Amino acid sequence: MTRPFLGFGLGLRTDHYQHIIEHQPPIDWFEILSENYMVPGGKPLANLDRIRQDYPMVMHGVSMSIGSTDPLNTRYLDKLKALIERVEPAWVSDHLCWTTVDHINSHDLLPLPYNEAVIKHIVDRIQAVQDYIGREILIENLSSYVTYHSSEMSEWQFVNEIARRSGCFLLVDINNIFVSANNHHFDPRDYINGIDPDRVMQFHLAGHSYHGEMIIDTHDHPVCESVWDLYQYALERYGAVSTMIERDDNIPPFAELHEELTRAETIARRTLTAEQLAINSGRMMQGVA
Amino acid sequence: MELRSLQQQFLYHLLGESTGLEKVIESTPMMSARDRLNIYANGYRMRLKEALQTDFDKLHSYLGDAQFDALMNRYIDTHPSHTTSLRYFSIALAEMLAQESPYSEHIELAELAKIEQAFANSFDAGNAACLSLEHFASIPEQAWPSLQLTMQPSLQIIACYSNAFAIWKALSAGEPPPEAQHRDEVEYWVVWRRPDLISHYRPLAFAEYTALKSMSEGDSFAELCEQLLDLFSETDTPIKAIGFLQSWVQEDMLAGLDYDGINAT
Repeated sequence: MTRPFLGFGLGLRTDHYQHIIEHQPPIDWFEILSENYMVPGGKPLANLDRIRQDYPMVMHGVSMSIGSTDPLNTRYLDKLKALIERVEPAWVSDHLCWTTVDHINSHDLLPLPYNEAVIKHIVDRIQAVQDYIGREILIENLSSYVTYHSSEMSEWQFVNEIARRSGCFLLVDINNIFVSANNHHFDPRDYINGIDPDRVMQFHLAGHSYHGEMIIDTHDHPVCESVWDLYQYALERYGAVSTMIERDDNIPPFAELHEELTRAETIARRTLTAEQLAINSGRMMQGVA
Repeated sequence: MELRSLQQQFLYHLLGESTGLEKVIESTPMMSARDRLNIYANGYRMRLKEALQTDFDKLHSYLGDAQFDALMNRYIDTHPSHTTSLRYFSIALAEMLAQESPYSEHIELAELAKIEQAFANSFDAGNAACLSLEHFASIPEQAWPSLQLTMQPSLQIIACYSNAFAIWKALSAGEPPPEAQHRDEVEYWVVWRRPDLISHYRPLAFAEYTALKSMSEGDSFAELCEQLLDLFSETDTPIKAIGFLQSWVQEDMLAGLDYDGINAT
């Protein structure tokens, strides 16, 4: 498989709409938060449509609740489908987690036990979602703060097996690997090594905060040096992967994030060849599988 | 433990119930299971509070940090989220303020919340083209009684029994709010979004409120005139009604019309 490579992107945030529309900064692509645009109309969709004219986009959601034991929320999936038709994204992602049970939404990305029964449950649901929306999805690894006694394998074995069996792809959050490695005492390079490169489609880079010895995935700081090192290690293992900086809080001026993104590109250019880093967005997800 | 039971215990732990979930979580020298779970419980409450603070910043300013925090805690404790988007988490706050003591004794609180909610709803309400006066010019005279109008999806009418709008305006301007005043007589306001995507608002006199409410509920022009006859003479009623229509067109409040099976949008 030739992996699509969109280049280097940023998360689209409302603070930056005006700057992007006025200056059309040289960013390869934007990732949108799907739920922010599941509204009837008005400014959010007007800005989205305007910016989409100038940039490729991918969609990233937080409410699919793929690991939940509630039935799949088809009302949500219908909204997702409508947004996919509007945005025509290169791909669509959500998280390997659960958010809802008994139809109550935690509005958090909650962790799952890593065992065979849960793998089967999630593989079935990913396949149902992929059938429903008519395309493969990407799932993203979490930062987590708990380990269940019922886990029987490492997180990367769990993630890999789900991707292999369901046919979905992976959004690898390098920061989340770093955070979870600290919180659960494993070597983040083991995680990177344990993932099948053929399933990796996108990287997230982000910052975090310390809470005593624990690291909390707050997405409100610049990417730290250790995560930059891990990013380089991941590039060496996987090759060119579409990379973006994900900042959700304490949002700095656009230029500051752009500078951070330039650092990602510099590391990639130092690590990979120009040929590997040639933009290849022609083949969208529907054509990949 | 079955995945479903685990998820239920986890969720009810977030909601503040004692579930014994610690027993299925590993404790480490770095941090106990309980403290690890509390990271999630704290995050849950913090996230919902952020959503409420975003949606009701004027109410927050009006109540001050401590009282608003108490309000948020009460709302979070009694209204678990059933929406996929935090945008709609706060949907029942105004109702809670209107119905539950001590908030219900200060009607301006519920009304202030309604005003903030109306602007949020107007901001991302559905899009629709605006009617122009030309659309009305082509209506045959005999079709006017059956004429029905569709309002812009963003249009909302707010009834206030307090000076909540004056409080909202002062807080929006960063000025100290006037003292709350409760009235026996209701004051109506309309909030809607124009094609420049900016939300507008203005007061409605009772006659215009009657007309706008009637038409927004699907009444015909004849039914509207019937209602206005309680307020104006037979001669003045059609003139007043046409005058309202003209101002609604000029202010981009109308999205569609329908008469004798013909519709225009």
